[in-house]
Amino acid sequence: MAEITGIYTASHTPVMLNFPDRIPATLKDEIFGAYKAMGDDFMAGKPDALVVLSNDHLHNFFLDNFPAYCIGCAESYESPIEHWLHAKRRTFAGDQAFGSYLLQSALEADFDPSFSMEMVLDHGSLTPLELAGVDPDLPIVPVLINCVQPPMPTMRRSYNLGRFLGHAIAEYDAVDRVAILATGGISHDIATPRMGMVNEEFDETFLGHMESGDIDATIQYATDFVHTAGNGCEEIRMWMAAMGAAKGAAFERTYYKAVNDWYTGIGIGRFKVS
Amino acid sequence: MANWQEMMPSTRAYLMNKVLYELHHKPDHLEAYNQDADAYLTRFDLPQDLATSIKSNDVAGMYLSGVNPYLLRAHCIGVKIPEDESLAALRSLLDHEDYNDG
Repeated sequence: MAEITGIYTASHTPVMLNFPDRIPATLKDEIFGAYKAMGDDFMAGKPDALVVLSNDHLHNFFLDNFPAYCIGCAESYESPIEHWLHAKRRTFAGDQAFGSYLLQSALEADFDPSFSMEMVLDHGSLTPLELAGVDPDLPIVPVLINCVQPPMPTMRRSYNLGRFLGHAIAEYDAVDRVAILATGGISHDIATPRMGMVNEEFDETFLGHMESGDIDATIQYATDFVHTAGNGCEEIRMWMAAMGAAKGAAFERTYYKAVNDWYTGIGIGRFKVS
Repeated sequence: MANWQEMMPSTRAYLMNKVLYELHHKPDHLEAYNQDADAYLTRFDLPQDLATSIKSNDVAGMYLSGVNPYLLRAHCIGVKIPEDESLAALRSLLDHEDYNDG
C-alpha cells in the first residue's frame, strides 16, 4: 500500500527557459524561488516515485493518432523533445512496473488510456521538474492528458481519472511513497491574438474554487469558463485530475501571479494530503 | 474570442498542421526547408496560399488557416521569427475589446 506524500499543481511554459528575461529579474527570481520551494517541499516527503500529470504539446502525438489519455510505461524518458527549447538534455528514470500497473488498473476500472513505451518528454514535464530541482533519478510515471487539440476529454472525466489514480496508487504495494505533480495552466493563450493577455479574474476565481473545497463548483467553473482564459488554460484538466487524486484534501495556493510578459498566469499549489 | 478556431480540424488545417509538425520533428526537414523552402513545401499537397503564408513567415495568415496554435508557436520559435514580430502579427487580429468573453 503506497502512501501519497504530496500532490502539487504548477504552471509550465517554455518561456521560462527560452525567454526568462522578458520579465524583471526580481520577479523571475521570485517565481523560480516558488518552484524551488515546491520541489523542496515534495522532496521532503521522501517519495520513491513521482507521477507526473502533464500534457504533450504535439510532439509525441500528432493528429494521425491522438490519445485523450496516455500512460508512460518506459524504463526511462529523454527530455526535451523540442529542438528549440533552451534546456539541458536529461534522462529521467522511469518506473515501468508502476506505469504498467496503472495502465492495467485503468483498463479494469473502465478508463481507456493509450500507453507509450517510448516517449520523449517536452517542456510541459521538464520545466517544472527542472525548476523544482527534482532529482532525475527519482523514477517517474508520466500520465498525459490531451489539452492541446480539440476535441478533448471533459474536465469531469479528468477529475474522475484523478480519482481512479488516487485509489490505484494507494493500492500499489511495490513502492512505499508516491508524490504527484500536476502541471499546466492557469490562464494563458498560445499563438492566438490574445497571447500575453492573462485573464487574472479567471485565475483568482478558479483558485478560490479550488481552495473552497467545493469540487462540483470547481469542475463546473472550469468547464463553463475555460474558454475565457485561453487555450493554454485547457491544461487545468491536470488540476482536475490532481483534485480527484486528493480525495477531498484541502488545497492551498502557494504562489500566484499573472505574468503577461511570460504569457501565463503562474500558479502553484498543493493539496494537504499528509 | 474562443480558445480554438476549429473544434474539429478541417482538412485544410490538418495539412497545415502536418507541414509544421514534420518540419520540426522529422530528421533533416528543417535543414531542407532552410535550404530551399519552395522545394520542401512541394512535398506536401498544400493549397498555394498556405504554402505562401509559411514561406513568408506570415504568422497571422498561418493562424487564420486554423493551424493548431501549439504547432504555430513552435514553428515561430523554431524558425526564429522575432518574438515581438509574431506577437504583433497575432495581436493585429484582435478585433474587439471584450477579448475574454469567449
